[in-house]
Amino acid sequence: MNRHEKAKNFKQVNHSVTKIDALQLALGKDSYVADFVPNDALIVKMLWSPHAHARIKKLDVSRAEKMPGVKAVLWYGNVPRIAHCTAGQGFPEPSPYDTFMFDKKVRFVGDRVAAVAAETEEQALAALEAIKVEYELLKPVFTLDEAMAPGAPVIHDEAEAHVPIPIPYEPKKNLVAHVACEAGSFAEGLKQADFKFDHTYETPYAQHCPIEPYTSMARIAPSGRIEITTSTQVPFHCRRIVAKTLDVPVQKIRVIKPRIGGGFGCKQEILLDDVTAMFALRTGRACLWQFNREETFRTGRTRHPFRIRLQAGVKKDGTITAINMEAINNTGAYGGHGLTVVSCAGSKVLPLYHCENIKFDGKSYYTNLPVAGAYRGFGATQAFFAMESLMDQMAEAIGMDPMKFRQINHIREGEGSPIFAALGEGREGTPMTVGSNALAECIVQGAEAIGWKNRKDWRGKTGRYRRGIGMACLMQGSSIPDIDMGAASIKINDDGSFNLLVGATDLGTGSDTVLAQIAAEELETTTDKMIVYSSDTDLTPFDVGAYASSTTYLSGEAVRKAAAHAKSQILATGAEMLGVLPEEVHCEDSAVVNSDGSKKVTYGDIAKYSLYQKNQYQIIGTASHITKKSPPPFAAHYAEIEVDTWTGFIKVLNYVSTIDCGTAVNPQLAEGQTEGGTLNGISYALTEEYLFDANGRMQNASFADYHIYSMRDRPPLNIILVPSYEETGPFGAKSVSEVSINGAAPAFANALYNATGARVREFPLTPEKVLKAIKAVEGKK
Amino acid sequence: MKLSEFIRPASLAEARKSLRQLGPKGMPLAGGTALHFMPGKTPVTAVDITRLGLSYIKQKGDFFVIGAATPLADIQRYRGPRWAMHEICRRISTHQVRNVSTIGGNIARVFPWADLPVVLLAMDARLVIYSGKEKDMPADEYFSSQPARLFRGGDLLTAVKIPVLKAHHGFGSVKATRNATAFSLVTIAALLELKGGIIKSARVAAGSGIPFPQRLKPVEAALAGKEASTAVFREAAAAAGAAARWVGGEGMSADYIRQLAEVSILDALERAAEFARGRAA
Repeated sequence: MNRHEKAKNFKQVNHSVTKIDALQLALGKDSYVADFVPNDALIVKMLWSPHAHARIKKLDVSRAEKMPGVKAVLWYGNVPRIAHCTAGQGFPEPSPYDTFMFDKKVRFVGDRVAAVAAETEEQALAALEAIKVEYELLKPVFTLDEAMAPGAPVIHDEAEAHVPIPIPYEPKKNLVAHVACEAGSFAEGLKQADFKFDHTYETPYAQHCPIEPYTSMARIAPSGRIEITTSTQVPFHCRRIVAKTLDVPVQKIRVIKPRIGGGFGCKQEILLDDVTAMFALRTGRACLWQFNREETFRTGRTRHPFRIRLQAGVKKDGTITAINMEAINNTGAYGGHGLTVVSCAGSKVLPLYHCENIKFDGKSYYTNLPVAGAYRGFGATQAFFAMESLMDQMAEAIGMDPMKFRQINHIREGEGSPIFAALGEGREGTPMTVGSNALAECIVQGAEAIGWKNRKDWRGKTGRYRRGIGMACLMQGSSIPDIDMGAASIKINDDGSFNLLVGATDLGTGSDTVLAQIAAEELETTTDKMIVYSSDTDLTPFDVGAYASSTTYLSGEAVRKAAAHAKSQILATGAEMLGVLPEEVHCEDSAVVNSDGSKKVTYGDIAKYSLYQKNQYQIIGTASHITKKSPPPFAAHYAEIEVDTWTGFIKVLNYVSTIDCGTAVNPQLAEGQTEGGTLNGISYALTEEYLFDANGRMQNASFADYHIYSMRDRPPLNIILVPSYEETGPFGAKSVSEVSINGAAPAFANALYNATGARVREFPLTPEKVLKAIKAVEGKK
Repeated sequence: MKLSEFIRPASLAEARKSLRQLGPKGMPLAGGTALHFMPGKTPVTAVDITRLGLSYIKQKGDFFVIGAATPLADIQRYRGPRWAMHEICRRISTHQVRNVSTIGGNIARVFPWADLPVVLLAMDARLVIYSGKEKDMPADEYFSSQPARLFRGGDLLTAVKIPVLKAHHGFGSVKATRNATAFSLVTIAALLELKGGIIKSARVAAGSGIPFPQRLKPVEAALAGKEASTAVFREAAAAAGAAARWVGGEGMSADYIRQLAEVSILDALERAAEFARGRAA
């Protein structure tokens, strides 16, 4: 039996059980933050900076404070000035403390100036207009070149900006982070190469576009504590960061995460909760703040634009002798995630292919543009565009099929990479060998599904519409080793049902369901016996939150361990009830059974016995989990496109997205994640774009002008789950959520080359850009 | 736009009277989808015109007559002899929007990206306006500038009359967008009358990518009297630059939009010629 075939014997895991919150959501029951807002809640509105870089010379809120309905106004003059980081990361964060609740300086169009809490939205908006601000305009910095230039305007000139751990940070040079490593010798490796390459790639801004915008509601509980109900991926980080920003004890704050309408990384950031909490403290009232779509685009977090220089050498036989990646990201006006995203550009990409001489240099710079943060793919998306574009070029140079070139070079089971050990999150990484890896099978199955064998070099064709097929191979990780921690507890109820309490954060991903399946599998019961409650800092154990592809792998293993802990108690009590030794019983179908199956007691009976009858105690299991590894999920993507060579429009004819996520705990949800991530990547590659005017103001901050794919645009998508079994994960699982966004841009770029000979090194692939590239090729002919 | 009051008149006359009295403080309301794009905080009274019997499509003599309050979804679903309006209607926004958005709303106030004015200009439609009594005017006059000018005195658009295409007439439209529901980068509509393979007359109009929908007269001139062939169409399309002032948008240059328009004109003409030669409507 292949290892992954173990999963076939599972009764709960590896089954597409219905999402446990599906009915609630389908019926429109109160689920999301805004559903829980009391009628008398105050409405919060923010005055945003219209300037990209300016000092506030004078700010007068006195007229606004007297406006009808206004209960409080917050600005730099009446709140604590505490440098902090808004990124919800491990503590202490590998990011600069460069943000204040309010500051005398604004650093991008959409930065905070002053906030109003009023009885109605209209009153709050009217009060904003009554706030008088005088700005001293400063020279803005909009490009990486401007940010890096000697004597560039300093965006963070405040004395307090600092990093809480010893990592490179030079705000006077606008440098947010710098990380570098070398394994072997790039220079020596390059000498061995028959062909050498040196290209630069650019990747664009993008927004996550969750259907539910950022929403936070804070109120003061009867006990006097602050209760924040918020749309967040990181409730525990939220509690910690709000406590710091407001200078109140963590003990005084409770953060509740209800159902979430999507996050994709943008809600791994504390952008509203400090303000709603402060207003609640000042007014004693419930305070609601919800971004509209324009605010989500301008002020919400975005994907870091990157410039990546990639150098490589390859021998005629296909050996990659040297790789050097120089990645620079634009983190915008604040530096959260600057270091980690640029690190992941190296750490999640460079280990994919064998190479003994690898060099990496990553930097992150401030600019006066929208703030970047965590976004599904997290640096890997950007770097894979460069890497996978270059892989095709290298294959062409040596006259090898690009699929075969990848097949002979990709990492295999049992292999490591010096990059794993060299690149961590603000410190060295963790040495690791790859356990499960079905990439080889992903490549084969994907090739079959797209019809790779029929692919030819179509560059010589001359018709208007030209077809091309391109591919890309991908990996990501599953949680951050030695940093991320998840915990769970599980207790039995009278009837043999269980309360599963997890700090893990279901964002709509279905993680509550997946965790319930894992608990049920371990406990030999059914998923419907699980009552899952996720993410409430007062009630559930700690979890770092939903990011870094960690929930199924990391929190899932915490759940499995907690369930095993409860199971040992169930077995002991069951044995006691049956009058046999604990070694002589096992669990089966929600019951404890003796060895020959002649006697059994159900979990309901065991619960009642232990709660009410004899040797009473609460059967409760609890466990925490950290990982030593971050097992990569692998993927091979294939795209078949049709290019209109007269207009530059690209039509996606077929897209195959394969994935090795270990055991798919819930195959339907795993497919959904993969399809969503893939479509997200297609949209990013083709139509999404931040357009700025000369003053750094985003011009297309609405869904009318910022084009994300809807179901109407969905091309034929073929999702193929290729099973493997990750021994270190719960029931063989690793992560699924991020990796699939990484493939579309390079696969399209490669397909475009296959169709026309035009090689694009920046996206989105707008019709104008594509047409220009095609014409450049035609001009050379 | 801030709606403060809502009235539902019982008749056209009553609606007109209300709108006359309200002046700038009143606004006829049908599907209401344009409200999203209309700024302004002054409270406005909405005069509902959706229950005045203005939602219908019927063939009357040489015309299809479409009531002004007819939702785009109805036009998309309607079929009649040599009917061509569904083609563009199914490309406008989303199904949900088409269920409420009306043909009248689409053309009573013309947004730069609107598709229907382009089609109606090419089709030589007639627009029926009620000002106590109904009278109609040709599309060329109606769309010569912002039609809102025609309704200031409370007058109302009540119907759109589209000529039924005769044999040898053909219609084609092209809408170039970034994705399925995006506003148009370029919309082109073309009406060709062929006789023995020769273009007897041509009407070609454009919208989006230019400040206001208009006919492309130099393109039309390059077609008249010539053979309906790709070479001729291509040559005519090349007159697009001279025919209108193309503007960039969505991060794309004016020059690119012009090139896109040229290709779209060619495609629209090919479709129109194919239609005229006897493609099933």
